[in-house]
Amino acid sequence: MKLKNYDYYLIILTALILFAIGLVCVYGITYYNYLAVNPQWTNTIQYSRYIEDMNSYLFPFLVLLLLALGLCIPKRLLEQDFLVKFTALSLGATLLLTFLSGIEKGLVFLLATMIIVQSFVLIKTIKRSNALRFEKEGYAGRLGSSLLHLGLVILIFNFMTLQASSFHLLIFWAGMIMITVGNIFSFYPEWINSLLK
Amino acid sequence: MGFSEYAAAREYLGIIGNPVITYILVLSLFLGFLSILYLWKKKDKYYDILIKCLYIVTGLYLLGFIFLVWFHIQIYNTILIQYPAFLAQMIPVGESRMVIPMWIESEKLYFWAMASMVFALTVRKRKELMAFLGIILTVFSTIVYFFSNPFKEPLPIVNSEITQWFSTLSSGDASIFQVAGTLYGRITYYYNSTYMWIHPPMLFVAYASLVITAVACVYMLRKHEKVYDDIAYRYAKIGYILLTTGMLIGYPWAIEAWKDSAWWWDPKISGSIMMWVLYSAYLHTRIYASKGKMWSVTAYLGIICFASLVFTYLLTYIVPGIHSVVQP
Repeated sequence: MKLKNYDYYLIILTALILFAIGLVCVYGITYYNYLAVNPQWTNTIQYSRYIEDMNSYLFPFLVLLLLALGLCIPKRLLEQDFLVKFTALSLGATLLLTFLSGIEKGLVFLLATMIIVQSFVLIKTIKRSNALRFEKEGYAGRLGSSLLHLGLVILIFNFMTLQASSFHLLIFWAGMIMITVGNIFSFYPEWINSLLK
Repeated sequence: MGFSEYAAAREYLGIIGNPVITYILVLSLFLGFLSILYLWKKKDKYYDILIKCLYIVTGLYLLGFIFLVWFHIQIYNTILIQYPAFLAQMIPVGESRMVIPMWIESEKLYFWAMASMVFALTVRKRKELMAFLGIILTVFSTIVYFFSNPFKEPLPIVNSEITQWFSTLSSGDASIFQVAGTLYGRITYYYNSTYMWIHPPMLFVAYASLVITAVACVYMLRKHEKVYDDIAYRYAKIGYILLTTGMLIGYPWAIEAWKDSAWWWDPKISGSIMMWVLYSAYLHTRIYASKGKMWSVTAYLGIICFASLVFTYLLTYIVPGIHSVVQP
């Protein structure tokens, strides 16, 4: 498959996964409304069950989304056949961990992997490495895309594993700044490039 | 300065604000009429009047907003909540003033409509798009006038809280403990919170920008011209940046204000995530808008995104939850 078609199908896949997450949210709204017939329900065991249920519906799509991101990002570093193998390996390890310790552990493993890969991409981008291949041209666009994807993965990882940590909010702000700066750099690369000159 | 001055300022806001919002409604209806006329006859003279009308309506919205700012300053100056000494163990401060933001209760739809008017002025050179937008803005102003008029009964919840505080204080009722606790919480974590000045306005400005995206997507489907995709994308970028950052800023606020309350997967939060993932999907599909049927998929998705935005906004009023004003 040519890289252009590969990107096209990857984007279709990403859009479908995002749409599916939207449907999970619609289900959550409906179910919450149904449970709220009892005004005190959030003080009962029903609320924690609802949260667990919603997380369990979301996590598989999150795994798929991360895999799609994983396919998207390392393509900038690696050849396509290696990339497919890398994704298959990530998926295999995630499934194995899910089978042994639950989907939450599998997802955390995948997030940690993605943080490493995307940090590597970001460092390479900052160093203006020629090894990277991007859809977007220009330094600002590339940097923005790298920051955006890394920030997103860091935020999800932070939500999932570090909520009790004293660094939780600090990491949250770091992730949020990366996403915001990443968005601005990605959407307005010409303007940022002109500022950087 | 005290409660009577506050009550006088509230009454005065109604006196000066109601004519403004009435003119907004009348001129918006005229704007809608001109928009239909232009779309039907395609005559530039109708369009010229339409644009003049839009400028006047926007100006009136801004004038009304200045009146609201004045009223909020009056609340700050006139209302001083002094907690009695016997509440010292419960309330860590001796007194509070209320710094009420301009995007709560009936004022938030007004703020969104005003921001939409300002954004509409930026696409005034695209005549057909602007005329269609004119119809949308007319509907918007009509809804504001009849369902969210900030001058008819200014800030009803804030008013009931202030009134209840002073009446409980003067009567010496035992319920003062509960009233003071609730009011202190509302002032500290809601009205006076720094997040309140960042999270909601960012979202409402994003919503206003995304109105243009939705209208441009309708025109993408109708006209199949790339310029409408460019316009939709231009405003989606502004909206998406503000939406993403604005939503994320709500997270530390929720941790601070709601602590262990049941806020995660609350309907408004689920709705906001839904809206965000749909806009993310729109921005992804748009990359390949020129390939095959992706053009119409992108346009339909842009419209679905806006429907999800309106739905998310309405969730506050139709589904119970921590963000909501309705009870089960």
